[in-house]
Amino acid sequence: MIKKRVSIWLAVAGLLFTVVTVWGGRQKQTPPPPLIAPPFNPYEGTVAAAGIIEAVNENVRIAPPLPGLVTKVHVAVGDQMRIGAPLFQLDDRELRAQLETREAAIPPERAKIAEQQHRVKDLEEQHRRLQAVHDRRAVSEDDLKRTWYALEMARSALVRAEADLQHAIAQRDETKALLDRLTIRAPRAGTILQVNVRAGEYAKLDAADPLMLLGATQELQIRADVDEVNAPLVKPGSPAVAYLKGNTAKAIALKFARIEPFILPKKSLTGDNAERVDTRVLQVIYRFDPPTFPVYVGQQVDVFIRRDGRT
Amino acid sequence: MNYIALKMLYGDRTKYLMLLCGLSFSVMLTVQQGSIFWGLMRWSHSGVTNINAPVWVTDPNINQVEEVKPLADTAVTRVRSVEGVDWAVPLYKGVLRARLADGNYQQISLVGLDAATLLGRPAIVREGRIENLRAPDAVALDQWAVDRLGGPQKIQLGTVFEINDHKAIVAAIVHTQKSFQNIPFVYTTYERALTYSPRERRKLSYIVAKPVAGVTPEQLARRIAAETGLGAFTAEEFGWKTIVWMLKNTGIGVNFGTTILLGFIVGMAIAGLTFYLFTVENLKQFGALKAMGTGTGTLAQMILLQSFTVGLTGYGIGVGLATLFGRLTARGGTLPFVETWPLLALVFVALLGICALASMISIRKLAKLEPAIVFRG
Repeated sequence: MIKKRVSIWLAVAGLLFTVVTVWGGRQKQTPPPPLIAPPFNPYEGTVAAAGIIEAVNENVRIAPPLPGLVTKVHVAVGDQMRIGAPLFQLDDRELRAQLETREAAIPPERAKIAEQQHRVKDLEEQHRRLQAVHDRRAVSEDDLKRTWYALEMARSALVRAEADLQHAIAQRDETKALLDRLTIRAPRAGTILQVNVRAGEYAKLDAADPLMLLGATQELQIRADVDEVNAPLVKPGSPAVAYLKGNTAKAIALKFARIEPFILPKKSLTGDNAERVDTRVLQVIYRFDPPTFPVYVGQQVDVFIRRDGRT
Repeated sequence: MNYIALKMLYGDRTKYLMLLCGLSFSVMLTVQQGSIFWGLMRWSHSGVTNINAPVWVTDPNINQVEEVKPLADTAVTRVRSVEGVDWAVPLYKGVLRARLADGNYQQISLVGLDAATLLGRPAIVREGRIENLRAPDAVALDQWAVDRLGGPQKIQLGTVFEINDHKAIVAAIVHTQKSFQNIPFVYTTYERALTYSPRERRKLSYIVAKPVAGVTPEQLARRIAAETGLGAFTAEEFGWKTIVWMLKNTGIGVNFGTTILLGFIVGMAIAGLTFYLFTVENLKQFGALKAMGTGTGTLAQMILLQSFTVGLTGYGIGVGLATLFGRLTARGGTLPFVETWPLLALVFVALLGICALASMISIRKLAKLEPAIVFRG
């Protein structure tokens, strides 16, 4: 009977072993929770969008009027600028040299005028004297006429000398204006957000990065990109919330500002700008009051716009 | 009577052992092959199970998880706009080449996770911290990548290597399920995965999403598909889609199916025939019992008892052996071996069927049996 028992015990043991193994391997792993709570939609229906924070007056990409060597940078990142405050200076040595020549050209012109004035006076005197002679035989008609012509020519020369002076002054002023153009000034009040140029560098006209970025950071807004497919779902005036990337604990309440009327090819927010324009987006602009935590221009946000009624 | 039946069964030790062996090994072969087959199928969609997300969104014409058809970036916001979505994050998936300083290289399956939430990250982290993925150039390798790239001596936390000519630093070593193609998984953040991957017009491979409480993944998947026109699948559906694709496009199903079927048929045929022979040899005893006035019903009951006893014993030993095999060889996930209830139940039912069939033939024989046989020969 031992043998029989052995086979049965073996069977029972095998079965138990299998049951335990299969039961143990059956437990499905629960997925690990997200490290940070993902952005969630607070509304019943929503249109989600990807947004970026920007200054209310769109940032100004400062460019030079002409390419040139930068000799001095007047500002640092974060400086508050008044309108017209100098930002940086392009190399002006050539124009300064020109200015000196042009300024030097003015005194000779003035001297020429003085000289001519004296000549005119001299000839006037001569002419008057000749006219005053009553005896026609003492003065020939020829002399009188010659003096008169000489006087008229001297007068014309004076007019020309005066015009020459005006011209010299205008030339000096032109150089001055060109010189002034080499000092790049703030086109409006704002904060310097970026400085990408140093003294000694060459400022190009079509640089990929702006030489300087000027914006008003006191008032920020969010530009939310809505896929064109979802564009009809956005009602003007809908409230929205935004979450900073990686900070989903605190929502930023948004106030509707406007919808950009022109649907644009999407600019990728990943930073690589040379590709992937395959979708058009509706841009919705939202304002918000500065939250208690810091937000910066250029930060990416996840936006949820309230959607009323289902379509 | 039952006692006599069992005594008869156990009395003929050789026949009993033969019966037991035939049944046990047939069951073992079937269960073992079935489990390996199912293990391979599990590996085939490890791309889905390793991410462990409830709903997958991608192109509607997708065949299987490794055949990525990328979407436009804005698809994430379109999915988030669907009612019932708790969260939806982008996921990059693509096969790239990793290269070590010594020139050793290896194909890897790069997985880009949403940087803020790291949703879809592996549950088991063996070394390092998965949060370190946010550091510059950080990637997490799975245990297979460590093996393939040169073993734990060469690949440690902080090892620098190249992915598609970009610098990558090992920030964590994680545990994943092996894939069918045996391409190891490397995890990084979504944005970094985009810089690693070659230039393409569209790059978003998948969007993984979770329904809010009260909405099932199935409902959400249907809703996303209807509202966005994208393909949306639950993890199970996507897994099955991949399995079906595998079965259709590789010979693996036919191959394993034949082995399993043949193993089963051969084993069961031997067992059935042996049992029949066993009955035939014991015809005298049955005849004597019949002569003593035992009814055919009782005899049938005896036969059934004998056949089910030996069947169940064989089943127990067989599955035990198969499990032991699995335990010993598939330790650490190097061999696909996944035993499941449906397989065990299927084999059990088939075994009972064979036992019943074998008994039926024997019972027919007994029914026609004349008690006079005892006195002949």
